[in-house]
Amino acid sequence: MIESIDKPFFEDYAVDMLLPSIDFGPMDRFDYIPIALILRDTNPLHLDRVYAQERGLNDVVQQGPLNQAYLYRYFTSLLHNPWDLVGTKMRFAANVFPEDTLRCGGEVLALEPIEGSGGVIICAVWQRNQKGEVILKGEASARIPSRP
Amino acid sequence: MTVDRAALIGRQLRAATYTVSQVDVDDFLGVVAEPDFAPLDDGEADSGRLAPPSFAPFVAVLGLLKTFDWQEDFLFDYRNGTAMFGEQAIEFHRPLVVGESVSIAAAISDVYEKQGKSRFDVIEVTFKIAGEHDEDLLMSGQQSYILFK
Repeated sequence: MIESIDKPFFEDYAVDMLLPSIDFGPMDRFDYIPIALILRDTNPLHLDRVYAQERGLNDVVQQGPLNQAYLYRYFTSLLHNPWDLVGTKMRFAANVFPEDTLRCGGEVLALEPIEGSGGVIICAVWQRNQKGEVILKGEASARIPSRP
Repeated sequence: MTVDRAALIGRQLRAATYTVSQVDVDDFLGVVAEPDFAPLDDGEADSGRLAPPSFAPFVAVLGLLKTFDWQEDFLFDYRNGTAMFGEQAIEFHRPLVVGESVSIAAAISDVYEKQGKSRFDVIEVTFKIAGEHDEDLLMSGQQSYILFK
């Protein structure tokens, strides 16, 4: 995890700059139980390996919002205040399975200075599994303060 | 039978509420560790405590699922059909507070057919999530649902 003293200020960012990547995992099938309870969704595709295998999958499928949560967790860890998050746009590209490792990363697409108070960064963000397959991709934007 | 969902465009979905409960947030934090948002010990007061932004997709998904009926509003048989989440866009207006109830308003903004390996309809839903009592906007955005034919 990036400590607060290492978090970049607005002046540290440049267009096309790659954001540091962070790995999460391996994913744990037992985490899908509390997530199913939170989502009030007991679809056996997320919980029953035999049910998933009968439908042509190797294992149960991790819930999509959990995949998103790891990408949010990644991007907001770069922010001085996690709630400086301005917006996100994400598209699901592939499923996540138990034991997968999720690598999250990104790249700065645009910088929008705000006079006297840093600015907003707009970034491409992505999440890939250990095989390099894209799980999630999209954009995220956030307010970043100026260097004091 | 082919279902024509184009007539659904503009349909206002039902109003719904969701409470950002401490139990849900703490269960979530037991899975996705967030150093800035640690779970509370039993009995510890949580007044004004914030949920992490990573919990926001759960609020959007849960809130929106309460605003529609698959069959009645999307003309879709959820028991026998296959549906997936499509693209989700969220604009954040203020932090989520643990314990607060939020209201969700949503409408079908677009419906279109696409062809991949198979044919499917995309239903785009525009939503606003606000504080239930003071109606200050928390999140707004769009969620699409993919309904395979």
